[in-house]
Amino acid sequence: MQIQQRSSGNVTILDLNGNLTIGRSEESFRETVRELLAAERKLLLVNLAEVPMVDSSGIGALIKAFTSVRDAEGKLKLLRPSRLARQLLTITGLLSILETYEDESAAVASF
Amino acid sequence: MQKPAQLKVTNRFGVEKRLPLGKPVFTIGRKAENDLQLLSDSVSRQHAEIAYQDETYYLIDRGSKRGSYVNDQRVERCQLQHLDQIRIGGDDHHQIQFLDETVEQAAAIFRTNSSPRLSQSQWADRARAASANEELQKLARFVEVNQAFKFSLTPDDVLCLIVDAAIEMTQAERGFLMLRNEHGDLEFKVARDRDRNWLVGNDFAMSHTVVEESFKQNRSVIINDSREHALLAARQSVRSLDLRSIACIPLRRFQMSEHMDATTVLKRDVIGVLYVDSHVISGTISQTSLRLLESLAFEATKSLESVRLMHEEQEKKQLEVELNMAREVQVALSPVFRQPAHFEVAAQSIPSRYVGGDFYDLMPLAAGGTAFALGDVSGKGIAAALLAAMAQGALQAQFAGGLGLTEVINSLNRVLVQRSAADRFITLFCAVLDPDGRFAYINAGHNLPILVRTDGRTELLTTKSVLLGAFDFAKYQERETRLAPGDIVVIYTDGVTEAVNAAGEMFGDDRLVSLVAASASLSADEIKGRVLGEVVAFTSGLPQGDDITLIVLKMS
Repeated sequence: MQIQQRSSGNVTILDLNGNLTIGRSEESFRETVRELLAAERKLLLVNLAEVPMVDSSGIGALIKAFTSVRDAEGKLKLLRPSRLARQLLTITGLLSILETYEDESAAVASF
Repeated sequence: MQKPAQLKVTNRFGVEKRLPLGKPVFTIGRKAENDLQLLSDSVSRQHAEIAYQDETYYLIDRGSKRGSYVNDQRVERCQLQHLDQIRIGGDDHHQIQFLDETVEQAAAIFRTNSSPRLSQSQWADRARAASANEELQKLARFVEVNQAFKFSLTPDDVLCLIVDAAIEMTQAERGFLMLRNEHGDLEFKVARDRDRNWLVGNDFAMSHTVVEESFKQNRSVIINDSREHALLAARQSVRSLDLRSIACIPLRRFQMSEHMDATTVLKRDVIGVLYVDSHVISGTISQTSLRLLESLAFEATKSLESVRLMHEEQEKKQLEVELNMAREVQVALSPVFRQPAHFEVAAQSIPSRYVGGDFYDLMPLAAGGTAFALGDVSGKGIAAALLAAMAQGALQAQFAGGLGLTEVINSLNRVLVQRSAADRFITLFCAVLDPDGRFAYINAGHNLPILVRTDGRTELLTTKSVLLGAFDFAKYQERETRLAPGDIVVIYTDGVTEAVNAAGEMFGDDRLVSLVAASASLSADEIKGRVLGEVVAFTSGLPQGDDITLIVLKMS
């Protein structure tokens, strides 16, 4: 999985590309979030548009990222989850906790 | 102690050696620590001992499997007499005879007096015979050691055996065996002298020049008089040690390629060195000895490798035993449930490994209702199973304490957030069915259970609550519905709906819903069997990817 970073104002947008599943992809996502927090980048928008699959490890990574950003008094939100990702986020009840947007500018404005 | 008695040990090549019984307890067995090591499967590791008590020798069996024999009589403890024949277990490769020196000396005087004088040529013959016997002894020892490698030895046993044999074959005073560690450096594994004593402290001093040359250049080094060796003569280590004879053989691991025939060596890898040395020149190391030593090193390396594999195999077996026990414990945690009058229930959990992260429970409540729980811990295997067991226990304790469903789940979430590893969580469906048909439930991030009404309508049971153990601020609130006679609820984990067939398709929610809807006339147990059967048929022999758990509830 590839992770591209870009900024929109104070918000860092992470464009994920590839499956967020157990192993390397989930680990590199965790690592990226750790680095951003260490660099005081605490407003994160995770773009899931190009993430076809998320498994339970990927869910774990999202939860961990959300709680560590929250503990650092930042915010983590999701952008455009794919159909399968949205399904899993719905079942696991995470959509009620992780703010999720379909429109990027609306998402950035919400921080 | 008077002059000690001896054991005369003759191997099947007719080569004999004599071992003095110069200590209070002389041990015999398969392990290298024994004073007499007999390498045979029918010899126990610590088989027998010869004890010297009150000026008398006794053979004492140490609870061996195959017994100890004196003159073909099986004995537990037996006083030994001059010329007694000893047999250890079923070992027929060695003849062991007990010789009491004091008695033998008397006999020898008699023999010497009666034997004729030897001529010059007869003495020469004797010397040649002795030298031939020596070579034969080396060869015999080599064959013996090679055979010993086939027995079930620990890696340490093998290493000792190699060093002892190398010392014996070269007549050296000391032997060392070093193996490469994970950093690529040589590490001492065995350091022994010719009496099989372990060397300590300063005794470890040796020629590092020779060892390094052998190890780095992957070749045998043999030096019969270190004073004549230009390089070594200059070396402080060798001079101060006053070493004369040194032999050092690299231990190589040969890896065969499967695609080539067995003689094609793909890669040679030096895993260590075998080193022997002496202070005296008398025991010069011949080319024959060197070749034998090299063969020994080759066989030893092969043997080490197979012993290592065998131990890995044993460890795997041990782990398997433990996992089987864990599985039994987990199965025992599954509820034994008396079917109540107002509904029937069938449940089953099939872990994809020995133990799983799925769990389910059915608990009769003091208030008259029944609690159902089906959970799925993220991850698989033992870690998941431990958390599953903890969650199940917490649920039981809280329901037994009389808490209502909403309180139980909120409290379980708090416990899990506090107690469980940061990124483990649980999806859980938990419900309470009252005798009057009231069905209260909370779905904490779990796959949506299927409710099939008698008129064929289906509902999916959700409370849109987040999974457990992730957020301390999460709130859980029960919902309720009413179940009428004939209504069916199927609670399951994603192992059912995400089962994948050979074409990579998932079993899927829709297939499960229509399957359950079409099975409405069946009993709970039959529905369970049908769903599991369909999943197995769907995946047709592919390995099960995830734990599969199912509870089927049908109102009577």
